[in-house]
Amino acid sequence: MGQRFGTAQCPTLPTQMCQGLIWGTLPHILRPLGAAFKLSAFIWSFELLWIQRVLTVLDNLPLDLHCNCGLILESGLLLSLVGVTRLVLLVFGSCRAVLLATESPFTSTMKLILIFSALFGAALCLETFVGHQVLRIKTRNEEQLKKLRFLETLDHLELDFWLNPSTPALPVDVRIPAHSLQAVKIFLESHGIEYSILIEDLQVILDREKQDIVASQQMERSSSTFNYGTYHSLASIYQELDNLASEYGNIVSKIQIGESYEKRPLYVLKFSTGRGNRPAIWLDAGIHSREWVTQASAMWIAKKIASDYGNDPSITSLLNNLDIFLLPVANPDGYEFTHTTNRMWRKTRSKNSGSLCIGVDPNRNWDAGFGGPGASSNPCSDSYHGPRANSEVEVKSVVDFIKNHGNIQAFLTLHSYSQLLMYPYGYKCTPPADNAELNTIGKAAANSIRSLYGTTYTVGSICSTIYQASGGSIDWSYDYGIKYSFAFELRDTGRYGFLLPAAQIIPTAEETWLGLKTIMEYVRDNPY
Amino acid sequence: MPGLRAALPAALLLLSSFPPAAAERLPWPQVPGVMHPLNPSHREAVWAAWTALHYINSHEASPSRPLALHKVVKAAAKMIPRLGWKYYVHCTTEGYIHGENAGSCFATVLYLKKSPPVVHGKCVHAQNKKQIQEEDHRFYEYLQHQKKPITANYIPDSNGNIAHDHLQLWGLAIVGSSYIMWKQSTEHTGYLLAQVSSVKQQIRKDNAVAFKFIVLLHEIPTQQMNVCHMYLVWTLGHPIRVKYSCAPDNHGLEDGSGQDSGSAAGTSHETKGNF
Repeated sequence: MGQRFGTAQCPTLPTQMCQGLIWGTLPHILRPLGAAFKLSAFIWSFELLWIQRVLTVLDNLPLDLHCNCGLILESGLLLSLVGVTRLVLLVFGSCRAVLLATESPFTSTMKLILIFSALFGAALCLETFVGHQVLRIKTRNEEQLKKLRFLETLDHLELDFWLNPSTPALPVDVRIPAHSLQAVKIFLESHGIEYSILIEDLQVILDREKQDIVASQQMERSSSTFNYGTYHSLASIYQELDNLASEYGNIVSKIQIGESYEKRPLYVLKFSTGRGNRPAIWLDAGIHSREWVTQASAMWIAKKIASDYGNDPSITSLLNNLDIFLLPVANPDGYEFTHTTNRMWRKTRSKNSGSLCIGVDPNRNWDAGFGGPGASSNPCSDSYHGPRANSEVEVKSVVDFIKNHGNIQAFLTLHSYSQLLMYPYGYKCTPPADNAELNTIGKAAANSIRSLYGTTYTVGSICSTIYQASGGSIDWSYDYGIKYSFAFELRDTGRYGFLLPAAQIIPTAEETWLGLKTIMEYVRDNPY
Repeated sequence: MPGLRAALPAALLLLSSFPPAAAERLPWPQVPGVMHPLNPSHREAVWAAWTALHYINSHEASPSRPLALHKVVKAAAKMIPRLGWKYYVHCTTEGYIHGENAGSCFATVLYLKKSPPVVHGKCVHAQNKKQIQEEDHRFYEYLQHQKKPITANYIPDSNGNIAHDHLQLWGLAIVGSSYIMWKQSTEHTGYLLAQVSSVKQQIRKDNAVAFKFIVLLHEIPTQQMNVCHMYLVWTLGHPIRVKYSCAPDNHGLEDGSGQDSGSAAGTSHETKGNF
């Protein structure tokens, strides 16, 4: 909308502004006169009168002054503007003294006043669009088009053509000031020219636009400390979790579900609009600490869910029926380690008895085909399954939470990289009972992902798509009874791998969210 | 390569002749000589394609424009008696450094039990070959004229960033690492370059350009990070020559204390590429 105004001209100053300027400059004209006639009382009473006049002017000021060059003025600025006028005139009194040498005092003062008024007039460029309408005119032939071209030439109407008359086939859009409206409509009707009202009152639209801009600026300000498009330290992420819980307190709360091996809290964000144990969706990220795009995407998704509630009909309906539990950093010890010591660390940081090697692969530690193919029994291996299932507190905490909740309908987990969308099984290569349904959902989600930036995901079971791997989380959740269990492998396909450039965080999060949303909507609509 | 001319058209004919039927899952019936179509998005096909590209990158591609796998178009496998499984792959490629469309490749990959995979590949380039050669030439001259050896660390860095000046070094590292990755690849173990930990130019008296690299190779499906010390010599117009030594990155051994500068080089053992 804003760009249309490039074609409008600056109209004359509204009466109030003229008054303001005149009242601002008058004291400076009358002061020398009063001094000449020794009328100091006159001067002071005039000052009081001036203040009173300014206040009245401000009272009567329309609150919707808009500048052609942008949306600026408030009453306060007007007040200071008048004050500035006076200040400038006082300061440039010295100029007057110079001119006095060559001209009479009166003419030099008047010159200055005129100059400054003109300057201020040009700079302000104020206008208001109350009562302006935008009409769409449809001409049927060259004859009617000629009439419109004639209208164009009538400057006193102050018409602003957004789409100029060119051929009868194309519509003509024109903004008409309130004072010309009647005349133009009569003209069109009398010549049988069809028109429709595109915009009833332009000022209303501009006000709304201004409100939107202010609102979005406020939103930028409040979240300007956490940049969702960069990778963050654990401390910074945990700080933002608090911010989200506070900013969206009506639907977001932070829960601690346990502690890591090195005693870091495991924080889950609960998105809920209701009480009691509603059916819920579980989503976790960062179980493998080097997969940085997953924790980063989870943060963006958290913000997205929170801010979309009440605005996006799908999310609103989703949260009105289900809760969402989001664990953005499932392996905080590992994550911290990737920042301080080894960017490529994958496992937990637990000590292994009888070995100098540290850590267990948390996605081989779940109770699903535990210890089977695709997991190593060597503590030094990056896919070490651990001494027994659920030996890792990071895994046990999630298992306990899910079991205690009792009503989790979907279990979703984020990994990187490879661009895959997988369902069980990983510990065996036979298809799950719900293979067909899960495949259908997966394909729909992959289509949603692709719709945004063309990123292609391969859909299939873990075993067929990636490799056989036992002790994985979605195998456990599926066998536990959570039918809708999916694992995502996010961008990319190998060029950057784990070191995905930060510039890709938000696009990855955006497209992933579309895929997740497709699955969540399906879960909402297909309870079991 | 002499056998290429005969093998490739035959491979193409075979690839195009079978219907896009659903692929059989492991274990396939081990009937020798029968061509089994593979689902192009399943891992065997993808890994065979990568193995082929590793070979092509290190033997034929230029350091300015190494190739990455875009997508497998079609794939099949055949059991060769007494030797192993031979994969036939048709894939599209993208530029490794900039991600642009780079054309497509046809390749065969024969996995042997005790030697590196035998790869025959032919690529159709989307890019101007002459332009690539010129880029190589310019880069080569730039490297030759360095008075002070070029050094750099962490390409890409932790946040995935690569300084513009380091892009071509990355290309050189990719080409060198591809040699190692090709040699180490098996039917069930694949590799991708995770990061260049460090690079140091070695000034030579002859025409060639030489570098000492430390690279991290991501091993799949074990998920292991292997630290490889790589000595690379490049003479313009010839394939690169690589000497290397790799070891699994066992940071765990230091149990998280006294770690020096966070480099993944750590304590590398001089085992010769034995995993």
